[in-house]
Amino acid sequence: MASMQEQNWDLESGDCIQKETSSSSQTPSSSILSSSFLRRRPNQERPPVGMFKQFLNNLRLVFLGTKLCVLIPAIPLAILGQCYGFMTRWIFALSLLGLAPLAERMSFLTEQIAYFTGPTVGGLLNATCGNATELILALFALRERKILVLKYSLLGSVLSNLLLVLGSSLFLGGLANLKMEQTFDRKQADVNSLLLLLGLLCHVLPLIFGNSVEPQLLDDMDQNSVVWLSRTSGILMLVAYGAYLFFQLRTHRQFFEAEGEDEDELSENEAVIGFWSAFIWLVAMTIIVAILSEYVVGTIEAASDSWKISVSFISLILLPIVGNAAEHAGSVIFALKNKLDITLGVALGSATQISMFVVPVSVIVAWTMGIPMDLDFGLLETSCLGFSIILTAFTLQDGNSHYIKGVVLCLSYAVIAACFFFHKMPASESLYQR
Amino acid sequence: MASNAETWLLENGNLKCLSKEMRHGVRTAHNMSSSSLRKKSEIALVSKVPYRFVRDFLANLQEVILGTKLSVLFLAIPFAIAAQCNHFGRPWVFALSLLGLTPLAERVSFLTEQIAMYTGPTVGGLLNATCGNATELIIAILALVQHKVDVVKYSLLGSVLSNLLLVLGTSLFCGGLANVTKEQKFDRKQSDVNSMLLLLGLLCHLLPLMLKYSRNSSDVFALETTVVSLSRVSCILMLIAYLAYLVFQLWTHRQFFEAQEDEDEDGDGIAEEKPVIGFWSGFAWLAGMTGVIALLSEYVVATIEAASDTWGLSVSFISLILLPIVGNAAEHAGAIIFAFKNKLDISLGVALGSASQISMFVVPLTVIVAWIIGINMDLDFNLLETGSLALSIIITAFALQDGTSHYMKGLVLLLCYVVIGACFFVSRSPLNQDPANVVDLGMKSSAHGILRV
Repeated sequence: MASMQEQNWDLESGDCIQKETSSSSQTPSSSILSSSFLRRRPNQERPPVGMFKQFLNNLRLVFLGTKLCVLIPAIPLAILGQCYGFMTRWIFALSLLGLAPLAERMSFLTEQIAYFTGPTVGGLLNATCGNATELILALFALRERKILVLKYSLLGSVLSNLLLVLGSSLFLGGLANLKMEQTFDRKQADVNSLLLLLGLLCHVLPLIFGNSVEPQLLDDMDQNSVVWLSRTSGILMLVAYGAYLFFQLRTHRQFFEAEGEDEDELSENEAVIGFWSAFIWLVAMTIIVAILSEYVVGTIEAASDSWKISVSFISLILLPIVGNAAEHAGSVIFALKNKLDITLGVALGSATQISMFVVPVSVIVAWTMGIPMDLDFGLLETSCLGFSIILTAFTLQDGNSHYIKGVVLCLSYAVIAACFFFHKMPASESLYQR
Repeated sequence: MASNAETWLLENGNLKCLSKEMRHGVRTAHNMSSSSLRKKSEIALVSKVPYRFVRDFLANLQEVILGTKLSVLFLAIPFAIAAQCNHFGRPWVFALSLLGLTPLAERVSFLTEQIAMYTGPTVGGLLNATCGNATELIIAILALVQHKVDVVKYSLLGSVLSNLLLVLGTSLFCGGLANVTKEQKFDRKQSDVNSMLLLLGLLCHLLPLMLKYSRNSSDVFALETTVVSLSRVSCILMLIAYLAYLVFQLWTHRQFFEAQEDEDEDGDGIAEEKPVIGFWSGFAWLAGMTGVIALLSEYVVATIEAASDTWGLSVSFISLILLPIVGNAAEHAGAIIFAFKNKLDISLGVALGSASQISMFVVPLTVIVAWIIGINMDLDFNLLETGSLALSIIITAFALQDGTSHYMKGLVLLLCYVVIGACFFVSRSPLNQDPANVVDLGMKSSAHGILRV
């Protein structure tokens, strides 16, 4: 890629900008590409005068730069609600709505910073911050000792990425491209499936370990063993994730490059806001995400009681759908354009990231806080996870796609959602155990 | 598809080329497999009868009744009815009804194919999709009406297992032995779609089962309602998936499922173009045969416990192994014959298509009929059965994923079926006939010690 003349296309306006690059160009990763479509066209002219105008321009780019910006007013409303004591279920709903645009903006800011730091650090940043919303939500749930909410929300994110996002993308993409043959490179899907299977093993072993002993014989020693097994597995999962990052960003980048060729291609090569301003915005947004997550975690039982839905359903289905909304929409759009490699990169990459990074990080943070969190997510939940991974791996193993694959994945998600909708936890089980 | 497709008349082996435009019947795998069991009708015998009307009627009769090699088993039907009316031993009624069902299933498929020639390929495909497993559907609904929910579950599960392991295994095995020197290939896209649908069906069975095991406490009644509600919603989703599969198979991606036509094969080819009986007579025969099937199925379901006691086999073994083998006999034979000729796409279409149909159409339909009648049938088929189903689907999907075949694959699938059969042969689970409580308590208590959550 060095010293070649590349044609770069401005995403929004479709103009062709000829750029000569002497250094290896930065190929945007899939998840960055996916949320770029939600951006509106930035006004390229920089007013020559005054910091104030620049500041206004900056503000506009950050706040109004997305179609999701209509949801941004939910944020101050949620904060007001908490301070003035609105009904808790309204606070819950408003916080959820406010999280959706924030997740998208954080991914935009990460991409902007990545332009300044180069491709590798940019990829690392994306890998860490890509699922920042889920990570922050998980840490807050941990802090308030609501381990069940934590486990369900992480599991729900993986399921939603594997089945819902992937399924709806393959379905709509298949319908839109009925006459064409849809192929993708299966190497990327294979690597992700392998990592997910490793994660599944780390969940299955504590489950079976804890259940293979008769209950009356189970003593503290065994309980402890499960926790220690989970912590060790967490460290190993992080090692695997580190290796995956090395594989993806350094040695085998070609598997993961988004095909960026002719038509409407992806982001411009120039950042639209400066490095430090992006950094400051990122920090500010993280703080707001933290505040909203705290509200969400705090009000989840009240919302569940008043809406008559179980907490497991809310954490497993509703939270991930909201958190993933921007990526979801991006995947569908790329599938409609028959760019399945990008779709797969988004959906599978996100699932791998949560399974191999966010989950072990939660376990380790719980370790430092002295909470005995383990990787046993329950029989029903682990079997759903196992089934989804196997189904997705089977679906993607032949390298082409049609709409029936999407139908089956979406319906599987619907069945799992129905299961947790009907499954009401008995009152004796609280959120604070397990 | 080749632009110049040649088709041959099956029975007399004469080479008769028909251009592609004349083919308007749907050559689905299902139809083609049972056509292998047809016999050539002898017009010579009938032409001696003087009156034209009687001659036509007799020709019709001959075509329908005697048109198959299995027609000798038709004799079992009047014997079964006589046995029931005169109160012979109930095991005899059971055995005779079973034998009588075999040719009826084949004739129903023949009649469906004849009707399909009049209605065009799409409606024909739909007809085949609905009536292809008419025998299993009728047995299931009759057993449901008699509140024998366990018989329903076992017989449907047994049909899926028999299609996936027995029919497919014997076809691949015999086909592999007959074509040891040749390379046997098939198009894996069709088997992939079927495997995915079967996996979706497996998920719908797995979740109610896990729900029952993930609770160590409480309210059995609340659990029941949860499981039944979940099963009903899953069934609606399964029917949606089946509908999408039909659209996929009959409309948008027909090329995946078209039966292969091999130009350089001479000899036994595919059935002729012209239907041999009229549309209305075909329709009337179909209705008549369905009535006889319903009658025999009612005898089967009513006498199954008596037969089980007399022969010393558990009811689960009879419903899981014997009933499906009988019901599938015609398809089974057809699949083997096409595997011999190295036309594996057709064998796969028969076996996998039938398994998908039962799993995604007959099972949900049965649950919805149970809902209408007011019986609480759920999709929890118990641990042992669901485990067998899961392993069968995974083994079959794995065996078929590379697009080639040899006799070892067939042997392994066949031996898996034998192992599962042996397992149910030795297990004697008590059958709970209480209509208010469909949980099979026998199984649950034994499994409770293994998995405690």
